[in-house]
Amino acid sequence: MSALARQGDRLAPLAAYVLVAVGGLIMLAPFYFMFVFASHSRTEIFSLPPPLFFGDDFLLNVKLLTARIPFWRSLGWSLYVALASTALTLLFCSMGGYAFAMFEFRFKQVLFLLVMGTMLIPSFLGMIPTFMIMDAIGWIDQPRALYIPGAASAFGIFLMRQFISSSIPKDLVEAARMDGCSELGIYWRIVLPLLKPALGTLGLITFIASWNNFIGPLIVMRSPDMYTLPLALRSMQSPVNTEWGAVMAGSAIATLPLLVLFAISSRRLIDGLTAGAVK
Amino acid sequence: MRSATQKFKTAARSWAGLLLAGGCITFAQAQQSITVAAYPAVDEIAKAAVAQWKKKYPTVEVKVVSRAFADHHTAMTTALSTSSNLPDVMVVEFGYVARFAEGGGLEDLGIAPYGIKAQQARFVPFAFRQATAASGAVVAVPADIGPGTLLYRTDILKKAGVSEAELAQSWDAYVAAGVKIKAATGAYLVAHARDVKDIVIRSDIKPGEGLYIDAKGRVLVDSPRFVRAFELAKKVRDGKLDGKINAWSNEWSEGFKRGTIATQMSGAWLAGHLNNWLAPDTKGLWRASQLPEKAWGSWGGSFYAIPKGAKNKALAWDFIQMMTLDPQMQLSAFKSQDAFPALVDVHNDAFFDQPIEFLGGQKARLLWREASRKINAVDVHKLDPIAEEIINTEMDKVLDQGKDVRTALADAKALLERRVKR
Amino acid sequence: MSSRPVFRLSPTSVPYVLLSPFVLLFLVFGVFPLCFSFYLAFQTWEPTAGLASMKFVGLDNFAFAITDEWFWKSLKNTAWLALASGVPQHLIAIPLAYFIHTSFKRTRNAVIGAYFLPYITSTVAIAMMFSTLFSTDYGLINLSLRSLSNLPVLGGLFPVDPIDWLNRAENVKPAVALVVFWRYVGFNTVLYLAALQTIPKDIYEAATMDGAGRWQQFWFITLPSLKPMIYFGVTLSVVGGLQLFEEPFILTGGRGGTDQAGMTTAMYMYRTAFEFNDFGAASALSWLLFVFVALLTWLTNRAFKPRGPSA
Repeated sequence: MSALARQGDRLAPLAAYVLVAVGGLIMLAPFYFMFVFASHSRTEIFSLPPPLFFGDDFLLNVKLLTARIPFWRSLGWSLYVALASTALTLLFCSMGGYAFAMFEFRFKQVLFLLVMGTMLIPSFLGMIPTFMIMDAIGWIDQPRALYIPGAASAFGIFLMRQFISSSIPKDLVEAARMDGCSELGIYWRIVLPLLKPALGTLGLITFIASWNNFIGPLIVMRSPDMYTLPLALRSMQSPVNTEWGAVMAGSAIATLPLLVLFAISSRRLIDGLTAGAVK
Repeated sequence: MRSATQKFKTAARSWAGLLLAGGCITFAQAQQSITVAAYPAVDEIAKAAVAQWKKKYPTVEVKVVSRAFADHHTAMTTALSTSSNLPDVMVVEFGYVARFAEGGGLEDLGIAPYGIKAQQARFVPFAFRQATAASGAVVAVPADIGPGTLLYRTDILKKAGVSEAELAQSWDAYVAAGVKIKAATGAYLVAHARDVKDIVIRSDIKPGEGLYIDAKGRVLVDSPRFVRAFELAKKVRDGKLDGKINAWSNEWSEGFKRGTIATQMSGAWLAGHLNNWLAPDTKGLWRASQLPEKAWGSWGGSFYAIPKGAKNKALAWDFIQMMTLDPQMQLSAFKSQDAFPALVDVHNDAFFDQPIEFLGGQKARLLWREASRKINAVDVHKLDPIAEEIINTEMDKVLDQGKDVRTALADAKALLERRVKR
Repeated sequence: MSSRPVFRLSPTSVPYVLLSPFVLLFLVFGVFPLCFSFYLAFQTWEPTAGLASMKFVGLDNFAFAITDEWFWKSLKNTAWLALASGVPQHLIAIPLAYFIHTSFKRTRNAVIGAYFLPYITSTVAIAMMFSTLFSTDYGLINLSLRSLSNLPVLGGLFPVDPIDWLNRAENVKPAVALVVFWRYVGFNTVLYLAALQTIPKDIYEAATMDGAGRWQQFWFITLPSLKPMIYFGVTLSVVGGLQLFEEPFILTGGRGGTDQAGMTTAMYMYRTAFEFNDFGAASALSWLLFVFVALLTWLTNRAFKPRGPSA
C-alpha cells in the first residue's frame, strides 16, 4: 500500500471520531437548549444573542405554566395512563406470547397472521372511526380510551413469544402440568416470573410510547382538564402570545422522566426495540 | 334461618343506601353548576363575572372551561356534531357564528322563552345582525366587538413629513405615504401586505353579499373589491413597504418594540395588547385614526350562545343576560380586557371620554364608538374559514411568486366553488 | 388434598383463553373501526344534525377527493417529506453505524445513547423546541448558518440572510424533514449496528489477508450483508414517512402552513374531519392514502427485498 493510503488509513478513524462526536453533540443540542430555555423568560429566549447557559427564570416559568394550563393534573393523567397501559399490556402480551410459544392449536397459524396483520394497518385509518366509536360508547374524555385499545399490541406479543420460546423450556411446563398445576396457574406462577427481563423491556417501551402518545389523546380527550402532557403542551401553542419560557419549562419537565429512564436502561431499551428486526 | 350478623348486614346496607340517596339529592341540589366554554381573554371576563353571579345564585357554580382559540372552536364544532360534551353557555367568536348558526345546533334566542329580539335596539346594529341566521333565528347574543382602527406611530410619520389626513385619505394615498415613510425612516408601512388586502375586501360589500360567498351560494372572490385588494397588496409588496411579518409572531412584536412597523390596522383592542405586552415602552408614540378611505370593519368580537343540547338552559340564559345586558358587566369587561361593548347603553359612559395614555392622551374611544355605528353587518357562510385560507394561499402566491392577480382569483374561485357545491 | 378448583382449563382450550384479550380488542378496536371507516367513506353526513342523518352517496366522496387540488398537494408534500427525511436517514445511518461498530469501544454506549435519544422523546416537546430554533431572526439554526457562512473556505455554501423557515412555503418542508431526520437517524443507526454485529469477523480477516482495503471491505462485504436490514429499515421509513402527522402538525400549528406546504395527507384527513367536519370525505381520504401506502410498500418490496441467500 502507498504511503498516502497508509496515512489515509490512520486518519480515517480520527476523522470518524470527530464526525461522529460532532454529530452526537448536534443530536443532543436541542435537549440542552430546551433545558436552558426553560430557565429563561420569553424575551430572553428571543434575543440576540440567545442564551447559552442557564438562567434564573425556571420557577417563574413554572408558575406561568401552571397558571395557563392544569399542568400537574396533566402530568398526573400522563402517569396514570402510562402505568395502566404498561400493566395491561404486560398482562395481555405475555398471555398472547405464551400461547404462541408453548402451544399448538388449531387456529394458531390464522391467529398469528392476524397478529402480524395488525402491524400492517396504518394508524391513520382508524383515527376517525375510533373517535366515533369512542363517542358512541361514552369513552370520550375517559383515560380508558387511551390504555385499553392498544393493550394487546402485536409488537408486544411478538417480543414475548420470541423470549419465551428461546428461554423457557417446554419440559418445565410439562412437568408443572404433571404435578397437577392448573393451566392458568402455570402461566401465573411459573412462566410469568421467568419472563421478568422481557417484561422489563416491554414495560419500558410501552411506558415511553404511552407517555409520548399524542394522536390518541388528540382524538379522544376533549376537555382541557383531561389532557395528557403532550396535549397540554400543545394547547399552549397559540398564534397569539405563546408563553415560550413556560412552554420550554413544561417540555423539559415532560421529557425529564424519559431521560432518567433512558439513562438507567438504554441498553435494554435498544435491544428490545431492535429485537424483532434482526431475525 | 338468618343469623344476627346477616340481619345486621342487611339493615346496614339499607340504611347506607338511604343515606347515600338522600345525600346525593341534597348534594345535587346544593352543587348545581353551569358550564361556560370560552377562550382567552373572554374566559377572564367570564371568571370575573362569577362574583356578581354568586350574589344572585349563591348555590350555583360557574365552571369556566377555557381552551386556546382554535381548539375551543374545534371542540365546540365536534361537541355540536356529536351532541355530547356540550357546555351550557358557549362563547363563539365572530368568525364562527355563521358556521354554528347554519348547523342548527344553537337555540334561537330571539323567540320565547328568551326573547332577545325585543332588545335588539340596545345592541350595536351590525353585531346583532351578525348573529342572525338566514332563517331569522338569533343564535347568539353579542358581547363585545372589535371596531377596526388604524394605529400609527406619530413620531415616524412626523419624521417622514406625513400627516394623519394624508395617511387615511385614500388607499392610494396610504400607499404613497408608505413610500415616503420608507424613504425617510426605513420603517415598513405594514407588517404584511396581506393586512391591506384583509381590509379592502371588507369594504363596499353590498347587501346580500357575504364576504366570500353570497346568499345564493355564488362565489364572489373575483369581484372588483377583491381585485382592488390584491392589486393594492401587490403594490405594497412591490414597493417593499411591508415587512413580510405575520401577525402575532415574535418578529411582529419585535417590529413594534423597535419601531420598524409604522402602522397597523386591527381591532381597537390591539392598543391594549400593545400597552400590556407587545410594546409597552412605545407608550405615547402611537395614535389611532379611522381606517383609510373610511373603510369600516370589525375584527373579531365575541358572542354568547346556548346549545340546543345544553342541560341548564334557564340558568345559562340568566348568565348570558348578565354578561350582555348589564351595563356594569360590559363596562368592567371593557376596562379590564379591552372588550369593546356591544351594548349601546354603555357607549354614553364617561369612560369613553377619558384620554388613553398609551395613545398620547388621545380620546380614541370616541373614534371607535363612531366607527362601531358605521360598521355594516356582513352575511357569513359556513365555508368562510376555508375561503379565507384559500384566498390567503393565492395572496401569498401573488406576493411571493409573482402570480397574476386575475389568474389567482380565478383559481381561488374554482377551488371554492367545488366546496360550495358539496 | 385441598378442595378441587371448580373450573379448570384444559391444555387445548387454554391458548384460546390466553389469546382472547387480543382477539376481543382486535375485533372491537381494530376490525370494527376499519369496517366502519370503509362504510363511512361512502356516506355523507351533516355533523350538527346528528348520526341519523347519514346518507349514502356512493363514490361521491372519492370523486371529490381525487379531483381535489389540496389532496394531491398533500400527497406531493407527503411523498417529498418521506423521501427527504428518509433517504438521508439511511445514507447517514449506515456509515455511522459502521464507524461506531469499528472505531468506538469504550464510549460506544454513550454515543449510541446520544443518537438514540431523540427517538424516545415526545414529538410535541421536540417540535415546539424546534419551533424556537427555527425562528427567523433569533433562532439558533439561522444564527449557526450565519456564523458558518463566515468560515473561510466552506463559507460560500451557507446562506448569509436568515431563512424564514416556518412561514415560507418553500422552507416549511425542509424544516419538517430536518426534524424527522433528527428524530429517526439514531433509530436506524441502532438497527444497522445490530445487523453489523451479526457479520462474522473471520470474513473481514480473510479479506484483509487477501489485501482488500477498508473501503473495499465495506463495499463488498458489509453492504451486501446489510441488505436484509436495509430492506426492513427502508420499509419502516417508507410506511412511517407516508403517515407523517405529528411533526408537521406541531411545526405548522395544525394548519399546514403557507400554501399548505407542510400539510401531509394524514393531516389533511384530520382537518377534513375535525375542522371542516366532513367525516365522509375524510374517511375516503384515509382509504386513498392507504392505497398509496400499500402501493409504495409493494414497490419498496420489489426494490429492496433480498432474493435468495445473501452473497
